[in-house]
Amino acid sequence: MIPPWSVPLAEAASPQPTFSHPMEEIFARILGYYGIQWHYEPRTFPLAWDEQGNVTEAFTPDFYLPEQKLYVELTTLRPQLIRHKNRKLRRMKELYPEINIKLFKRQDLRDMMIKYGLVDEAEKLLGTEAQNAT
Amino acid sequence: MATITLSRQLGSRGDEVAQAIGERLGYRVVYRDLLNTAAQRAGAPELALEVLDVLGLLQTSATPQAHQAFQQALHELMVELADQGKVILIGRAGCVLLRERLDVFHVRLVAPVAQRVERIAQQRGLSPAAAQAQVEASDQTRRAYLRQHHHANWDDPHLYDLVINMEKLTVDSAAALVCLACTHQVDRHDSPLERPLG
Repeated sequence: MIPPWSVPLAEAASPQPTFSHPMEEIFARILGYYGIQWHYEPRTFPLAWDEQGNVTEAFTPDFYLPEQKLYVELTTLRPQLIRHKNRKLRRMKELYPEINIKLFKRQDLRDMMIKYGLVDEAEKLLGTEAQNAT
Repeated sequence: MATITLSRQLGSRGDEVAQAIGERLGYRVVYRDLLNTAAQRAGAPELALEVLDVLGLLQTSATPQAHQAFQQALHELMVELADQGKVILIGRAGCVLLRERLDVFHVRLVAPVAQRVERIAQQRGLSPAAAQAQVEASDQTRRAYLRQHHHANWDDPHLYDLVINMEKLTVDSAAALVCLACTHQVDRHDSPLERPLG
């Protein structure tokens, strides 16, 4: 049996997606480390429609964890971004009460990843570009 | 003995021993499903992640109310599984939650820190320092879990029916020991001399 910590990213969710933010790739690798199955942006939820019934606002959570039956949305600690995402999550709860979704506020994990021997990933993923991106 | 709970230190080969016991006795091994189901019953599926996250990398923090609901759900689920029998429950304080049941056998696996560090370093391709950090973090998290939720000391041998030091044992020999001890328990409980009155 392959231990969960050795599951490469590509096997954790195949085919390997293109992440829109380095924070998402770090999160995916942590999930892989713990052997937690995940899917990246598998579903879009319409949140608002115009009079013709066209979708005017939608929300695509970053991850779905099938074993936990849980959608996960990641955010940085910027208050404005958190407010914006919380508003969308509240709307999600109103329209799709049966869906479990959780907002994860991500902090800098560089020191922890170095401490636990994930330094290569940290250096690759937590470089200057990653720190400056939203 | 219908149910076994297994507490293990990171790097003590606990998961392998559980599988080996399961194969010998025809018992199923339950770990992740237990957490996920309990978290969903508690209405807080993210708690399963928090419990798995022994290194604190996911940075989740559920409310005390969610934790309480999770513990309740976990207890109920363990009782249900123990009632069904032929199951090995890994971790999550099964030794405390099912302590009063005579049909449950509680096992603890330990190993010297140096050996566990070496094993984790080898398995995960880590430096000794990083492996040491993972072992220490795991011990700390698991110890805190029992203390916080059950006011119990994870290292207290009285919580267990059998404590095995894996330093000089193979997975198969440890599994054989557990199976032997379980069989002895069954024999003892079945003996008229040993059976409680009433």
